[in-house]
Amino acid sequence: MSDWTKVTRPIPVPNQWTQPFWDAAKRRALELQRCQSCGHFQHPPYATCVQCVSTDLKFEPVGGKGTIYAYTIMYHTGDKRFASAVPYASIIVELDDAPGALLAGNLLGSRYTEAKVGRRVEVIFEELNDDITLPQFQLVR
Amino acid sequence: MWENRCKVAVSGVGYSKVTRSAEIPLAAHALTAVKEAVADSGLRLEDIDGLATYPELPATGHAEIDGISVVSVNCMMAMLKLPNLTWHIQVGTTNIGGAVQQAVNALLAGVCKYAVVWRAMHNPRGTYQNLPSGNAAGAAQFTAPYGFGGPGQGMAVAYTRWLERHGQNREKMATLAVTQRKHTQHNPHAFFHGVPLTREDYLNSRWIAYPFCLFDCDIPVQGAVAIVLTTADRARDLKPRPAYLAGYGQRLHFEVAGRIGSLSDYMLGGSSSAKLTWERSGFSPKDVDVAQIYDGFSASVIYGLESYGFCKEGEALDFIQDGRIELDGELPLNTFGGSLGTGRIHGLWHIIEGALQASGRAGSRQVKDANVSFVGASAPIVTGTTFIFVGEPY
Repeated sequence: MSDWTKVTRPIPVPNQWTQPFWDAAKRRALELQRCQSCGHFQHPPYATCVQCVSTDLKFEPVGGKGTIYAYTIMYHTGDKRFASAVPYASIIVELDDAPGALLAGNLLGSRYTEAKVGRRVEVIFEELNDDITLPQFQLVR
Repeated sequence: MWENRCKVAVSGVGYSKVTRSAEIPLAAHALTAVKEAVADSGLRLEDIDGLATYPELPATGHAEIDGISVVSVNCMMAMLKLPNLTWHIQVGTTNIGGAVQQAVNALLAGVCKYAVVWRAMHNPRGTYQNLPSGNAAGAAQFTAPYGFGGPGQGMAVAYTRWLERHGQNREKMATLAVTQRKHTQHNPHAFFHGVPLTREDYLNSRWIAYPFCLFDCDIPVQGAVAIVLTTADRARDLKPRPAYLAGYGQRLHFEVAGRIGSLSDYMLGGSSSAKLTWERSGFSPKDVDVAQIYDGFSASVIYGLESYGFCKEGEALDFIQDGRIELDGELPLNTFGGSLGTGRIHGLWHIIEGALQASGRAGSRQVKDANVSFVGASAPIVTGTTFIFVGEPY
């Protein structure tokens, strides 16, 4: 399993459009931007609904279960901050409640070889500091 | 069909030395490439009245210093002091292919007569990705904390999805890497000229970001290439046989920045650009004699072949087998070696080769009787542009 203990992750810098996502994560909840006109969930947050171009968007809770949409196993240590964790799985997750919205994460708690397109995962939370908690994923047991 | 087909042509081409990393200022590379292209046309620098480029620095986290890590239009103007300059531009949305298209438009509009387009690529000494910041702002706030630090990983996630959805085997990509390296041996300007690659080398090479191994990635280098574009009637009076532009296109699709892993970004980007190119030129994929498809990462060729319409979705890794992409095959591909052979110079070298093949100037790698020459000049995602050149105007 990848050793994440020595990794210094870059700390996300919220802006006014993404702050609600990080506020929710700090409460260990997932909230995504939802179009109040057509009901479409999207991620990353955007100025308009990517489906119907409405500007009426609010953050709403979504369930933490989904499937691995895509992944890569990282071996290269171009980013030295992650050198101690290689090889590690960086995954893209499509949540059951938000088709089309894609969340990045790492596959935690399993060997990197367990990452496969279509595998079921669920959100867990990794506290980076007092302000930022990072949504992460593990295989559904 | 496009009323302006075959009214503009590529004339001269030029190259600087390609080195592994920066030894001399990048401006010196660009200057060499531009002067060579002008001389190849039989023109003098005073004849050049149009300048276009895309001065981007792909190495992440390094300072943009004009003349050192990028070569802007201003830099070129300062160096050349062109007495007859009438037009110039730098582009943003479409990589170097967009700069070529803008030069075409300027020539058609009659605001310049001989335009030069160059692409200069910097590889700093030391670390290519220089990511010292402890913070991740903008679109990176959703990716960098998970170790998505470079373009290779963004491409790799889409590639695993493609492979596993279509039940495909990445080992088939060895054919692309080995065939392109074979083509590279006919290109003395290429970084890997004189360095062969075997199937075993590919299959045994170290991982970078699975499914990409070392030989799926173009090697970062320092170098520059350039072309002279002019109107067809002027091109006929110059030294080289012209390569006429039959049609071009650009991607018309964009998804939200920071949303990675999506295949549709590649497929819709590529198909929208190719559709314009097929419609404007009047050709279809089956008419193409030779193709250059951007290969900064090998998987870009898959998305190109499929989204441009050369084969069906999910079939590209089978399409490239059985000698089809060899110089004497059904669709000779990346005949100059591609970026995998030349080093990371982005798509202007693909455009150069497309033009050389159309005009019969490709030397020992010339595809026999090539007339219709297709170019996909960058990854179909985000910056995709496509071109068709012909040797015989119609």
